[in-house]
Amino acid sequence: MAEQLPLLFEHKFNLTFANFYPGKNREIIGHLKDCVSGTGEQQIYLWGNLGLGKSHLLQACCQLAQELKKTTFYYSFVADALPSTEILSGLEEYEVVCFDNIDAIAETSDWELAFFNFYNRHRDRGFKLILSSNCPPNWLTIRLPDLKTRLNWGLTLKLQELSDQESIEALAFKAKQMGFEINPTVGRFLLSHYARDLASLWRLLDRLDHATLAAKRKLTLPFLKQFLSQDESD
Amino acid sequence: MSALWNNCLAKLENEISSSEFSTWIRPLQAIETDGQIKLLAPNRFVLDWVKEHHFAKLEEAIQQLSNGSLSLQLDIGSKKAIPAPAPQHTKAPDSKKSRPNFLNRAFIFDNFVEGKSNQLAKAASIQVSENIGKAYNPLLIYGASGLGKTHLMHAIGNAILQHNPSAKIVYLHSEKFVQDMVKALQQNAIDTFKEYYRGVDTLLIDDIQFFAGKERSQEEFFHTFNTLLEKKHQVVLTCDKYPKEIVGLEDRLKSRFGWGLPVAIEPPDLETRAAILMKKAMMAGVDLPQEVAFFIGKRIPSNVRDLEGALRRVIANAQFTGREITTEFTKEALHDLISLQDKLVNIDNIQKTVAEYFKIRVADLSSKNRRQSITRPRQIAMCLARELTSHSFPEIGEAFGGRDHTTVINACKRIASLRDSDVKLEEDYLNLLRTLSH
Repeated sequence: MAEQLPLLFEHKFNLTFANFYPGKNREIIGHLKDCVSGTGEQQIYLWGNLGLGKSHLLQACCQLAQELKKTTFYYSFVADALPSTEILSGLEEYEVVCFDNIDAIAETSDWELAFFNFYNRHRDRGFKLILSSNCPPNWLTIRLPDLKTRLNWGLTLKLQELSDQESIEALAFKAKQMGFEINPTVGRFLLSHYARDLASLWRLLDRLDHATLAAKRKLTLPFLKQFLSQDESD
Repeated sequence: MSALWNNCLAKLENEISSSEFSTWIRPLQAIETDGQIKLLAPNRFVLDWVKEHHFAKLEEAIQQLSNGSLSLQLDIGSKKAIPAPAPQHTKAPDSKKSRPNFLNRAFIFDNFVEGKSNQLAKAASIQVSENIGKAYNPLLIYGASGLGKTHLMHAIGNAILQHNPSAKIVYLHSEKFVQDMVKALQQNAIDTFKEYYRGVDTLLIDDIQFFAGKERSQEEFFHTFNTLLEKKHQVVLTCDKYPKEIVGLEDRLKSRFGWGLPVAIEPPDLETRAAILMKKAMMAGVDLPQEVAFFIGKRIPSNVRDLEGALRRVIANAQFTGREITTEFTKEALHDLISLQDKLVNIDNIQKTVAEYFKIRVADLSSKNRRQSITRPRQIAMCLARELTSHSFPEIGEAFGGRDHTTVINACKRIASLRDSDVKLEEDYLNLLRTLSH
């Protein structure tokens, strides 16, 4: 039987707090929710390794803000592909603003200055700012001291790594959101034979979703082994 | 928010990736009028992006959900958000014509913690608020970022308003002055701009170093400054360094900024850092034990914003876990921060930085060389190691060529005493402290 070609689509399910696997990061989720709802901190700086869910959490903040009928904006910076600083214009009027990968603006003087000015305008209005990065504020290579001290001003939180057991649970949790199942045996196999970093695992999960859909198969250990061996030979 | 736009968002969030949706679609604000839905983007950049990449999808969704009764229009703008209550800006009583003064009411003299490093600046600020235009004009407060310059500036404005609620005061960042001027030039309203700034009783301008290289703004500020001083109206300025050191600032401005009283704010000493922490905690309704304040103060030696950030972490963690704030608890709550600080500031790093600063070799610091050009940097490095790391006196002695712990104790005492009497050494020490703390 010919393999059924799945429709090529990106998973578009909404990233919310409910579909985030919390692991040891329940406290962080609490602070983010409080911040967005208006009872918590004015500024949160979230940092941690790739794949721990920083982007997910920032977008979940935007989703919550929308539910609460607050104006919200999200942008994910990419180093070497920064947009025009005009993107900051008018954002001081937004009640919840989230910037992902803020480290990308470091050492770009026009961006550092523009962000510094936006920061002051936004803060003066008492609105909420949520930032993420792969390192703590003190490690950023930002040259403008006035901006660097301000990034240290708010609540700085580190996203905790997941243990192996938590990673297996997180895989099962995420797969369930995507509409398929990963049993613990498959999860353990992935962790010991494929990769331990979550970013790689999430990418694999996307491909497995397509593969199981195309083959109309459940994700069993034999299927996974076959998929990975095929992947290697490709 | 219009019900139709809500439905549209619900439809599109399943069709566009979450990140794209959060950046380009969710921020749009909808205004529904007869036969039309207008979506407002915050700026031209977002507007153009949405037009180019998402217009068709938006239009299709709106057509479908409104059964073809609504057309779509995109524009730049904002339905004004209701400002959050956090920083309370005061308005002059006769504010019908004037705009807000942008003073933050939370910054007053009473909650500014005074120490050796900032007492002169605070005293001068109080003098200025009580003798407007007469005591020191201009008052220039300078020092590194995050040491309380802006707090003092707002405190001056708030104190003046307390004595005279109808005083025309304006606080602004120098960049705002530049932006307002550019806008005024674009709108052919430069005379209104001049009239506004030259008509205030007290002008408070923060971070004048940002005037550097902006010649037209400097020119305009120069005239505003002169007019205010001629009328004996007060000008207060802050800067991150002594103005003569600013590259790109006209000499005539540098000279004028020095006419009144330039006063420095230095990084706070340990006792002041602890006092700041206790005051901030008290303002947050939290009882911070003194030993905890000293513990945090010892680990965060740089500036007030860093101190506040660490305190927030401790308070937030205590509130979440319901635990009492003790030193042990604080160590746990600040574990990440402290371990990172330790990675950043260790004895090797201190030796390297001190050696570079005094242009000697790192090996000299561990050598038996007793020339003063070597012993003084060595003593400074030992003292910094004691202040910035958690190493014991014997461990520090060991790292400096296997010296006895009493040598380290004596070095720390010597440097502490010299910091009080030798201005140059104090400056060197603070420069190194700043370099190592960031």
